[in-house]
Amino acid sequence: MPDWILSPSEVVRAFATALGTGDLLPHVVASLARAIPGFVLGTVVGVALGLVAGVSRVADLMLSPSVFLSYPVPKIIVLPLVMVWFGIGDISKVVIIALACFYPAFINAYYGARSTRAILVWSALNMGARPIDLFRRVVVPSALPMILSGVRVALALSFILLFAAEMVGARSGLGYLIKQSENSLRFDLMYVSIITIAVLGSLGDALLRLLGRRLVRWREGRP
Amino acid sequence: MPIVLPGLALLAWEIAARSGSISRIVCPSLLAIARELGTFAIRSDHLTEAWISLYRALAGFAVAALVGVPLGLALGRSPIAARLVEPLLSATYPIPKIALFPIFVFALGIGSLSKVSLVFLECLYPIVINAAQGARAVNRVVVWSARNMGASPIQILGKVVLPAAAPAVFAGFRVALPVALIVVIITEMIGSADGLGYFVMGALADLRTDRLLAAVVVTAALGWALDGLVVASRTRLIFWERHETYFN
Repeated sequence: MPDWILSPSEVVRAFATALGTGDLLPHVVASLARAIPGFVLGTVVGVALGLVAGVSRVADLMLSPSVFLSYPVPKIIVLPLVMVWFGIGDISKVVIIALACFYPAFINAYYGARSTRAILVWSALNMGARPIDLFRRVVVPSALPMILSGVRVALALSFILLFAAEMVGARSGLGYLIKQSENSLRFDLMYVSIITIAVLGSLGDALLRLLGRRLVRWREGRP
Repeated sequence: MPIVLPGLALLAWEIAARSGSISRIVCPSLLAIARELGTFAIRSDHLTEAWISLYRALAGFAVAALVGVPLGLALGRSPIAARLVEPLLSATYPIPKIALFPIFVFALGIGSLSKVSLVFLECLYPIVINAAQGARAVNRVVVWSARNMGASPIQILGKVVLPAAAPAVFAGFRVALPVALIVVIITEMIGSADGLGYFVMGALADLRTDRLLAAVVVTAALGWALDGLVVASRTRLIFWERHETYFN
């Protein structure tokens, strides 16, 4: 058996050891401190601009072509540029994660807002809704299911970008821990950090789905 | 109107670069970037890096499509297959597969094989899930009619289910292709001696931001070309149904 294959029981034991010695938790905290602000910043800006572009023709013409044009470009390629601009500290990681999260949030909010059924808008207008009410009470709720699926994609992307950014240039975090344990042939620690990333990814996704079920309770069979 | 914001950004960039108050490491002039871009046309070693990235992304994507579409169609049509595979699929779906890259490197080496395999794994999920959804949503009246007219299960799969699920299959392709490029670039940044990801890290180490940005433009061009290819083949193959949203 090659060295890099560990039995499940060995991995479990290594997990307990890493939790006990404090090899793991500081890196989890460091990773979350980068992923959460980046994810929140990117999705909030993306959803807000996407909704605005979905309801306003001027904003649509200004924003959408640039966003859709740059969408198929892998955002990770600008990581070195972001590092030149913002240094190799936490800010560059937050920026690159926010950039990657912006796109799915924008695109889904945009289509969500645009697919609002005209009859709902007409009814609200007929009942004397002001534009701001129309936006808050009609457009946003009807776009919500699509927004949530965009946010789910953004969460998955934020973990990929976090891992890449920490592997490339960081002194802490789970990506760094994986690279470090790989270099020092600490395979036990490597598996522990990989499993931790997997658990965090699944937890985040489960949380979002729970939130989605609470937020769009009126809609059947949709996440 | 669409060009207002990008135009303003480019103008501000060039003014900042020309003003001399900002280092050319932070903000190289557009001319310098264009000159570095030109080296991709005349220097074969630069072009090779782009080709290597493209080839890795396409290889992983192609295998994922070849495996993923039949698997997805089977999951969509056969309840037994769905019950066997789907729990595994939905449990592993939210896991960032990229974290497995170190294991892939130990198992398959630092060369193309580990990267292509990871691209395959990441692309497989959106392709399988979309194909399964498409196959599940096939109008059952159409299937019944075909069966009534004496079509064999194979004929139903090939002539009814596959065309009906094709828009969903292509939606999966359109999600998977950018993912393929992302994974290739990341794995090349982390552990590689070639490809565009390696190239940009080298430019960063040399503080050659102009070269770095030229590589960004080349990567962007690859992204557009691949996406354009998917959209063009979708429009040709699925002539009976128009795009509704961005993804299908």
